[in-house]
Amino acid sequence: MLLVQLIFNGLQTGALYALIAAGFSLIFGMTRVFHAAHGATFTIAGYAFYEVYSVAHLGWPAAALTAIAAAALFGVLLDRWVYAVIQRHEGSFFTVFAASFGVAIVVQNVIAMAFGRGLVTITTPLSKSIELTSGLFVAPMTAIVLLTALICFGLLQYLLTKTNLGIGLRALGENPVLIEVYGLTQRKLSQYAFLIGSILVVPAAILTAATTGLNPSMAHHVMLISLAATIVGGVGSLRGAALAGMLLGMAENLCLAIIDPQWSEAVTFVILFLFILFRPGGVYGRAVTT
Amino acid sequence: MKSVIARFALANAISLGAVLLASANAADVTVGAAFPMSGDNAEYGQIFSSGANLAVEHINADKKLSGKLNIVYEDSQATPAQGVIAANKLVNVSKVPFMLSAFTGVSKAVAPIGQRTKTVIVNGGGVGPDLATLGEYFWNTIPLANFEVRVIAPYLVKEKGLKRVALIYVDDPLGQSILKELGTELPKVGGELVGSFSIPTTAQQFSGVAARVRDVKPDVVYFATYGNQEVQLIKQLRDNGISQPLASYSAVDIPSVQALPEAKGVYYTSQQIDWNKQDPTTKRMMTDYQAKYGKKPTTYVVNYYNSVLLFGELAAALEKAGKPITGENLLAQRKATPSFEFAGSTVSFEADGTVKAPIQIMEVAGDGMGKLLVPGK
Repeated sequence: MLLVQLIFNGLQTGALYALIAAGFSLIFGMTRVFHAAHGATFTIAGYAFYEVYSVAHLGWPAAALTAIAAAALFGVLLDRWVYAVIQRHEGSFFTVFAASFGVAIVVQNVIAMAFGRGLVTITTPLSKSIELTSGLFVAPMTAIVLLTALICFGLLQYLLTKTNLGIGLRALGENPVLIEVYGLTQRKLSQYAFLIGSILVVPAAILTAATTGLNPSMAHHVMLISLAATIVGGVGSLRGAALAGMLLGMAENLCLAIIDPQWSEAVTFVILFLFILFRPGGVYGRAVTT
Repeated sequence: MKSVIARFALANAISLGAVLLASANAADVTVGAAFPMSGDNAEYGQIFSSGANLAVEHINADKKLSGKLNIVYEDSQATPAQGVIAANKLVNVSKVPFMLSAFTGVSKAVAPIGQRTKTVIVNGGGVGPDLATLGEYFWNTIPLANFEVRVIAPYLVKEKGLKRVALIYVDDPLGQSILKELGTELPKVGGELVGSFSIPTTAQQFSGVAARVRDVKPDVVYFATYGNQEVQLIKQLRDNGISQPLASYSAVDIPSVQALPEAKGVYYTSQQIDWNKQDPTTKRMMTDYQAKYGKKPTTYVVNYYNSVLLFGELAAALEKAGKPITGENLLAQRKATPSFEFAGSTVSFEADGTVKAPIQIMEVAGDGMGKLLVPGK
């Protein structure tokens, strides 16, 4: 029964990781901006939801809309006012990374000043497990997380394959210079990538607030997961990010059947290391020749 | 004439500089603190510094020292590596003779710096038993975890009939010491450690750990972690079907745990503070803290308030005797002082630089302060 329990736990953790990684993978894959402040977007969305839902008691729809607005605004403004400015002055990849990293630290401190440095949680009966059979505890939240992940990835797949915007975004990731020939502008598409990527992190932020809680410094963990899933899944591949998130979450939980919990996080990095060694392009990555 | 004026101006400038230098020397008495001011344990840094700052204000208001007392903070992030960087900066750049430390891992890492440079380091938050053996320049104003485990183990087993104990502990010196103490103390009182599960300091997902804990069918789950991680752990244990009682040590006494609905009913130990002690120091501390922060002080606040007060007492005695305020002289002065009248207690130091205080058993009641179950002896 322990194994079945760990599979259920792994599914929930994996779906959350997939949702966390999707936004970063989209932004990095399409714009090649190492958006280190993606974790900060996650934190902003989580705290916006917490403030409206748990403090102002305005109900979850209003809270979710606020979280979406906050995340979208932060992502788009960061792209327009920071990344675009650096890129206009031909700043290098690392200049953009350093700026993004700096913004993440500023956000962490501002949130700590505004909300305190302790952990805040959203109390909901949906996160309380129910004993399905003897020794098997599953919370309604597990189903919600899985369903949310399925809907988000379904919508995203539709957007990227069936709409002009999606095709434009994919083209931006493939060949940013060539898209100009077709009358598209890199800057405008980049804004859309940040808008969609930032909104994508909101479901994960809300679900994390309800299951594990929020703290100002959680952005680092979010970035670690995002980076690992993006590399394992293949840069720019949303299918890859989803699969890798699920793989990492399952591995982190299933390994508990045989090893001490102390080593469960290390499993993530062992998987990452193996991929870097034997399949550097990730699951859905393609070989690139120069 | 010009030359006379120039000489006069130069002489004036030199004398003015000398006066300024002398007054600066008299004014600047600086102590340091290496606390977690960012990261997962920053909440502790906020709590610790609130106590230390209040003591600095009181010492300056009383003009206890000839000059002004300042406190400089460096961010340890509650990690040994950052703690060493912070301590080196305080000792080598700020040249402090006395600094505050917290967390077992950080304290163990910075203690050799204190010993080597003869800088007094005072810990009021870390409780690993090893902290009693870090040399004569390392002092503790908080009783250590071995005393806490020795109090709660018989309570859980004999009073509550909770014999099968599962332990979840963070993989650091504090967690290791609690594992060792529980392993020793439980058999003595008829209890049994049925499972021990170590977790990394960075872990945030505990549903799998809860499944492993359920599997060993404990009567009670003891957890030894701190900060945001302990809040996440408590919530996820409760969410994932752990309905057994939970127990822990003094790290539970922080606002985010006390306010967590899932934490209600957690048994924990903490040092006993006499909040109603009828002396001016305790009354002033209680009144001023509540006026400044709008809440009652916790034991951590009192410990760091008392730690800075300790410096004030020792430094004032040294000034009175015409001795410089150095780590060496502070140590000698502490050894020469039999006891200190502090907020909430009268304190005497043992030969190993630790204090002994009664340990009480509390329960998280959801009111922010905890409910007293068994007073300390």
